[in-house]
Amino acid sequence: MQKIEAIIQPSKLDAVKEALIEVGIQGITILEARGHGRQKGHTETYRGREYSVDLLPKLKLEMIVTDDMVDEVINTIANAARSGKIGDGKIFVSRIDNAIRIRNDERGDNAI
Amino acid sequence: MNDQTGPTPPSNALRDFYQQGLAEIRAQFEQHDSLRTAGHIAIEQRAKLADEVMLRLWDRLGEHPRLKSGVAVVAIGGYGRRQLFPHSDLDVLFLLDNSIKDLDLKDPIRRINQEIWDCGIRASPQTRQLSECDSLIAGNPEFTLSLMDHRFLCGDRKLYDKLAKDALPKLLQREHRTLIARLVEITLDRHGKYANTLFHLEPNIKDCPGGLRDMNVCGWLTTLYTIAAQAQKQARPEHGNPSEFKHATDFLATVRCFLHYTHDRDDNVLYWQSQDAAAKDALALGNIGRRTVDASIWMRSFFRNARTIHRRTMQLLEEAPRVRGSSFYDQLRRRHKRSQFDGFHIQHGRIVFDPPASSKAPDPANDPDTVLNLFGAIATHGCKLSSEAEDRLEPALPVLAANLEEGPALWSHFRTILNGPFAGEALRAMHALGILELIVPEFLGIDALVIRDAYHRYTVDEHTFVLVDVLHSLQRPPEPMLANNRPNTFAEWQRRFGGLLADLPHPELLYLAALMHDTGKGRETPDHAKESARMAKNLFARMELDPYEAGIVRHLIVNHLAMSATLRRDIFDLETLRAFVEQVESPEQLRMLALLTYADISAVHPDALTPWKAENLWNLYIGASNYLDRTVDDDRVRSRAGSELIQRVTTLAPARSKEIRAYLQGFPQRYLRTRTPEQVFSHFEIASNLVSANTATRDTEAGIAAAVDLILNQALPVSEITLVALDRPRLFATIAGALSAWGMDIVNADAFANSSGIVVDSFSFIDRFRTLELNPSEHKRFVKSLKDALTGATPIEKLLASRSRGGKRKPPKVNVETQINFDHEASTHSTLLQVVAQDVPGLLRAISITVADHDCNIEVALIDTEGEMAIDVFYLTRFGQKLDSARAGLLRDDLIVAIARNTL
Repeated sequence: MQKIEAIIQPSKLDAVKEALIEVGIQGITILEARGHGRQKGHTETYRGREYSVDLLPKLKLEMIVTDDMVDEVINTIANAARSGKIGDGKIFVSRIDNAIRIRNDERGDNAI
Repeated sequence: MNDQTGPTPPSNALRDFYQQGLAEIRAQFEQHDSLRTAGHIAIEQRAKLADEVMLRLWDRLGEHPRLKSGVAVVAIGGYGRRQLFPHSDLDVLFLLDNSIKDLDLKDPIRRINQEIWDCGIRASPQTRQLSECDSLIAGNPEFTLSLMDHRFLCGDRKLYDKLAKDALPKLLQREHRTLIARLVEITLDRHGKYANTLFHLEPNIKDCPGGLRDMNVCGWLTTLYTIAAQAQKQARPEHGNPSEFKHATDFLATVRCFLHYTHDRDDNVLYWQSQDAAAKDALALGNIGRRTVDASIWMRSFFRNARTIHRRTMQLLEEAPRVRGSSFYDQLRRRHKRSQFDGFHIQHGRIVFDPPASSKAPDPANDPDTVLNLFGAIATHGCKLSSEAEDRLEPALPVLAANLEEGPALWSHFRTILNGPFAGEALRAMHALGILELIVPEFLGIDALVIRDAYHRYTVDEHTFVLVDVLHSLQRPPEPMLANNRPNTFAEWQRRFGGLLADLPHPELLYLAALMHDTGKGRETPDHAKESARMAKNLFARMELDPYEAGIVRHLIVNHLAMSATLRRDIFDLETLRAFVEQVESPEQLRMLALLTYADISAVHPDALTPWKAENLWNLYIGASNYLDRTVDDDRVRSRAGSELIQRVTTLAPARSKEIRAYLQGFPQRYLRTRTPEQVFSHFEIASNLVSANTATRDTEAGIAAAVDLILNQALPVSEITLVALDRPRLFATIAGALSAWGMDIVNADAFANSSGIVVDSFSFIDRFRTLELNPSEHKRFVKSLKDALTGATPIEKLLASRSRGGKRKPPKVNVETQINFDHEASTHSTLLQVVAQDVPGLLRAISITVADHDCNIEVALIDTEGEMAIDVFYLTRFGQKLDSARAGLLRDDLIVAIARNTL
């Protein structure tokens, strides 16, 4: 069982979501985020005032998947979120010890 | 119900009897739960069953010597009202004579209570001496309120009569004001816990505003108000529609029974799944044969009924200050001195109709002008309708419908309502009475319409009113802290978007678009935005909106989702911006669209507009705004290309299509986007006349000078003057100077030229000294004066000298630092100059004369004002070329000096 966290462009959300549903992923947590990596922000001037857009809008997707699904999910997200430009985002993978469904106390893979 | 007797112990037999009765009540309910009154019947039957249990218990246990006299068993609260929901507690009072001590009866009463519990009844027993019931218990007004619904069950009847006929009436007589105050306080606190709205995705049908607890509040307040009126020897008239209220309470009672049975406990939350189940049963809809309905349709009925109870509750709460007359109630509404209007007045924050002037005089409630003025007063002052006013308005609807005059007068009334800071409240009141639908019948289709997607919290009509509330809230300075003591993370966004609202010359058009934007949802159509715009066209026709205003509103409605859709793309990508800007016709439309989007998202759900979304929306707005300004010079009309904008003008005179196309050749597209086809055509006609009148002398200086005409549109607060002329040196500077000489404060301007040297300049200005408003005879002299300045008949210097500044200027509220920027890349053939400076009279003249002194030609000018800041953008050429860096530097230096000198 592993956690996959993907930082993507907001404009790619629909494509990523659809692709994940297609490979059988149903539970996704989506968080609004701001940040930048190599893609630095910029400054916009409007009516004589400078508005610095140094932290760019991103979305963070989190999902827990069974070990056998990890590679497929990573490829699915990467393919759907890729535009080839700086700022497409990143995917992080980490191990999860256990999962518990609160409603019926199911544990492990069954709780995902 | 079967009475089971036999060898089982008495308590078991009673339990079986009770449980059997419950099962029968439930079976009957489940068989008939599509009937509206099913719940009402069930709760009465359970109360009757509980009465029977209590009587049997008393028969058996009341024989205890200590219970023989001086003890009465009284049903109170919901049980006293015979409203015992399937899993509600049994509120029982053991009333003791003052001579009997609680301790003396502890054991026999405990035994009775034990047996009640053994039957499976959750009891909430209380033991009180009579003397404890004749005064308010500090911190527990709920006890006295529950006592108001007393009912004798068994025991000492004489003792009960002392309570019912003496102690309690005296207590209420003495303490009704305090009790009203506490009841209002408790109710407002409870409403506050539900954000003061009945609209929730999963409402608690007991405690939410418009829930069953509100129904009880209505009953208690009515009783207390009647006591108060009797104390003042007055009669208290009945208000509202009792049958509608009864209908609503029956509906909710059935729903609550259904929830108790479904959840198998006293859980009153109408969960998502419960909504599906209720719709499947067509619960309480009165459908014979239980036709399943869609959950959104069922929820529509729910909200309509809850709204009825909520409205009645709010009316009664509003009545409270009048009864108590204390400043405590100021939290309920703003107090007003008595304000008199024609046909009605505002008293203590509530609107009251005047009586007819004589027995033969018409009732003001039947006069559409009076009624619309009344709602204008609500929108302006935030006052409420009195119950008496509502009672008079409801029967007046047919007369109002027959006498309602359409056309500009109706739009004038409606504009006042929309522009009022409390427009949302006025529109809600109009909607509740059906008056909004007299004016906007298109609104009927979205009455209580539910969009059931677990995201839209409000019904479509309420969403619309919340949206209007959000827009008006932007006019107020944002609160740094919220009511729940959390910092207002939206303060910055409210300030920024509020700034956009303050700059709108016609905010009423935005509010009208807001009102109509979702009306199409009431029809089955794949594109509700287009349908809403189509429906709005009928309203425009009825109000005779001018084509320009109608065009703006229509465009806003059609495109109200465009910005939200663009937010799902890469908003920093130039191609995304270009595609979005193509849907926006002008900067004013962009501002309105940004505001509509901000408010539309905010009004979906209290948490729908996150700071993340607000920031993205702002970034999209400024990106699009800058894109609009920076591309205006390159985006020119090519008359040979097929364009809808050109066609809209040529259809006005198909025979002159070729001439019109020639006239339009080379104008920036923005010229076509910001004017109605009729306005463009009138400019074309003026230009044609100028050219033909001056054909012979067109190449001479005098001929060029003479070729000028002006159109004045005097209006409040902003007037507009448009000049059509053959291009000439210092044209822009001259007209700016002439306006300044007349004391006109230029707030907005643009200047465009076509390929043939025809210039169309428009200036929006505020008439600071009200010269044109107060002296209609001055209009002609004003226009002639400007024309003389332009033709050279009167030197502009003379005009300026004759109007020297009188007195000192007021110091600015905000100091704006002068910024001058050149952009040589924004346009392919012009240099963009942007000047940001303190907005003071004469600024535009100072800038444009300096520009002219450097032999620069203004290809396009976009002049704007934001509070005390002037933001002027010019596209300049010098001898047909962009400015070189050296010239730009010189011009910058001279502009700094000229602006500083003008500010002194």
